[in-house]
Amino acid sequence: MTELIKEQHLLDSLTSAFKIKGRVIRDRRVEVFADKKMVSGILLFAKKQLGFIHLAHMTCIDWIDENKFELIYTIWSPIEKIHLFVKTKIERENPEMENIDSIWDQANTYEREIREMFGIQFPGLIGEQDFALEDWDEMPPMRKDFDTKKYALETYYQRPGREDAKDVRETISERSGTKVPDFAKKYSREK
Amino acid sequence: MIREKETTLYIGPQHPGITGNMMVKLKVQGDTVVKATTHVGYLHRAFEKLIEQRNWLNAFTLLCRFCVPEPDPMELTYARAVEELDNREVPERAQYIRVIVMELARLQSFMLWYAGQAGSAGLYTLGQWSVGDRNYILDLFEELTGGRIYHMYIWPGGVRRDVTDTWKDKVLKTMDYLEKRQDDYNQLMFDNTIFQKRAKGVGIVPKDKAIEWGVVGPPLRGVGIKSDVRIDEPYEVYDKLDFEVPTAKGGDVWARALVRKEEFRQSISIIRQAIEKMPKGDYYNKVPNPMKWTVPAGQAWAKTESVRGEIGFYVVSNGTNKPYRVHAKGAAYTHGVTVLEKVLLGQNIADISFIMNSLGVCPPEIER
Repeated sequence: MTELIKEQHLLDSLTSAFKIKGRVIRDRRVEVFADKKMVSGILLFAKKQLGFIHLAHMTCIDWIDENKFELIYTIWSPIEKIHLFVKTKIERENPEMENIDSIWDQANTYEREIREMFGIQFPGLIGEQDFALEDWDEMPPMRKDFDTKKYALETYYQRPGREDAKDVRETISERSGTKVPDFAKKYSREK
Repeated sequence: MIREKETTLYIGPQHPGITGNMMVKLKVQGDTVVKATTHVGYLHRAFEKLIEQRNWLNAFTLLCRFCVPEPDPMELTYARAVEELDNREVPERAQYIRVIVMELARLQSFMLWYAGQAGSAGLYTLGQWSVGDRNYILDLFEELTGGRIYHMYIWPGGVRRDVTDTWKDKVLKTMDYLEKRQDDYNQLMFDNTIFQKRAKGVGIVPKDKAIEWGVVGPPLRGVGIKSDVRIDEPYEVYDKLDFEVPTAKGGDVWARALVRKEEFRQSISIIRQAIEKMPKGDYYNKVPNPMKWTVPAGQAWAKTESVRGEIGFYVVSNGTNKPYRVHAKGAAYTHGVTVLEKVLLGQNIADISFIMNSLGVCPPEIER
């Protein structure tokens, strides 16, 4: 495909410099897969040498079946107009990843969020305080094995009278010993 | 010279000038900020987690609530990411309708910005005018989608309802009205000495640091860098429409206001062109059965231009009827945290909400 020359050229320069695998996904999208130790080197090389000066996005995926976390760094070159995804997988037990907020300041925000939501540690990360969750001592909530419903049932209580999702009018009438008026009955769930 | 004592000051989470529920912890000497630390977490609703437990289309009810002043770009970005995973074509008519909806959303958000920006400088009349006129756009949305603020109108494969000729006429008439009204807004804002004195030289984003800091959208164009997702990575039919990307110099609140003032005009022009060029045909490439619809496994990244800058969605599918992971990154994610902390240094306490409005800080988008 002739129109993907730019993308192929970028991939070649990265694979020759770092001995990593990657592919051109489509126009303006290139991804590379790297070992976790190489990520900061690749990002720095892409920023300084290839013009990828904008960190567009960074995220984490919990691949619980593989017992791995996948970290994705999305960087953008305003000149080439290409998105480069740098992807790495790390172990789910005691996960730790290199801190890159010296390369991009705003990575600090992403890393603080990932630390809180997935429990991945970034040694040297400034900003010890919580990001969005305060005083959270449960399992990091964005992990796949965190059960939202179980947590909600254990932490909060049902409003009295709503345990069986009964019509609220009937519950009130039972409790107070009054009758539900006829006009209201037709909307009732129990006919 | 007497060195003033350093005091800690908390602004927010409940404060009339702050653009939502977030807190800025300040260290001040006299009236001058010497350190600013942002703190979010007052609006965390765990949307990303909840989306993982719903099917692909149910996610829309949550998506549009990421950022209240701008629900539509969220819908479009997610829809585009899902379309990429599913290889789903969007009919050309639907693409034109999407452009019109996006630009209407941009206009209504600009009108809220006029209110916020002027209001934080003490010019309350302008806010009453622009928010009043914003209702005309909300009326158009109500007629098209059934909802005034949250629409859930853009779906993977197109849009949910077709537009009628009557609706298009109404849009054109509303545009004529807004074009005249914007002159009034501008007179009240840009010709006003109070606003000029408040805005010039305040909240400066340095040009050499802007991209590195993660600044996007109008604040980036306000330092003179021509960057717009609609041009850099054209989506829908933006490449078939003729529009300018305005820039300004200085990187201060004034420059950002000038950019938005001109973008308002460009949006009106885009809507007129899109209505004129819209072809006949299908408006929806139907999804089989929304409740059982599965999307092929893969990962996709889509981004669009919102009023505050680029919005990106990273969507991951594992081949089931639910998204495996959805991550949203809005402009406020950088503007509201690291950029704000830097820009506020050396500023006056009275200018904090003024600068926050100008940077487009939307707290619900930061924590989702």
